[in-house]
Amino acid sequence: SSPRFQALLGTGAAGGGHPKTSSPPQAARAALRLRYLRSLGAMRGLPVSFTLHEGGRVGAVVAAADAPPLAFQVDALRTPLGLQAAALLRCSDIIAYAFEM
Amino acid sequence: MNDWQMKSPLDWETYVNKRVKVAAAEKNEYEGWALTVDPVSANVVLANFPENGRVSIVVVLGHAVQEVDVLQEADDEMKARLSCIFAPEESKAYSP
Amino acid sequence: STRRSVEPPTERPGERRMVEMEKLYGAEAAKILAMETAMQLIFDKNCDKKQPKYWPIIPLKL
Repeated sequence: SSPRFQALLGTGAAGGGHPKTSSPPQAARAALRLRYLRSLGAMRGLPVSFTLHEGGRVGAVVAAADAPPLAFQVDALRTPLGLQAAALLRCSDIIAYAFEM
Repeated sequence: MNDWQMKSPLDWETYVNKRVKVAAAEKNEYEGWALTVDPVSANVVLANFPENGRVSIVVVLGHAVQEVDVLQEADDEMKARLSCIFAPEESKAYSP
Repeated sequence: STRRSVEPPTERPGERRMVEMEKLYGAEAAKILAMETAMQLIFDKNCDKKQPKYWPIIPLKL
């Protein structure tokens, strides 16, 4: 198994792995992840404001996120140095992001 | 990984449907109703309802979370309101 | 590589991933994997088409 998988699974959180039943940790993890993935879906095409490390703030329209996500593909990124048509923002650079729906 | 990222899904689930205050890196602070915590990244999704009738969403990234304090528990009306923000098909209130 | 040509593949591609997903998410594994795959596909397609560069170029936090 990958290190990421091992880290995610933690200790004592593994269920039987039977596809039709879930242990309480599996059910909780699934419900939390489903909601988060839906929030990513809802964000597509919306203007989003990002608070970055070192005090930076930028705005952009979110076009896509990879899974887990590690990065956002954004359009019309407004940076202090001007407008960038398409860019990738690293999640590790971001403290928070906000949007309205 | 910080303490927040080390928590288990069952720990994170206890924050759902609570009004929380999140202290984040570089003295940023956020408040809102916790909708979910992504079990992969530990990102916290918060909702607020501003006067304009829209829903305002703030997501604090797990790696930047320093502390999460619970301020209030949602009543049934708020739970119902929160449960339909991202999941129209999920009509039942989410009850951990 | 000679071993690979003799022995039949013991796993189908993606099978290991699905086993990991089931251990993590139980009954909802297939649904979550499908959503993640769809999301990744859009991301990859966008990156092929738009060739976006990382901003900022150097990570703010290592």
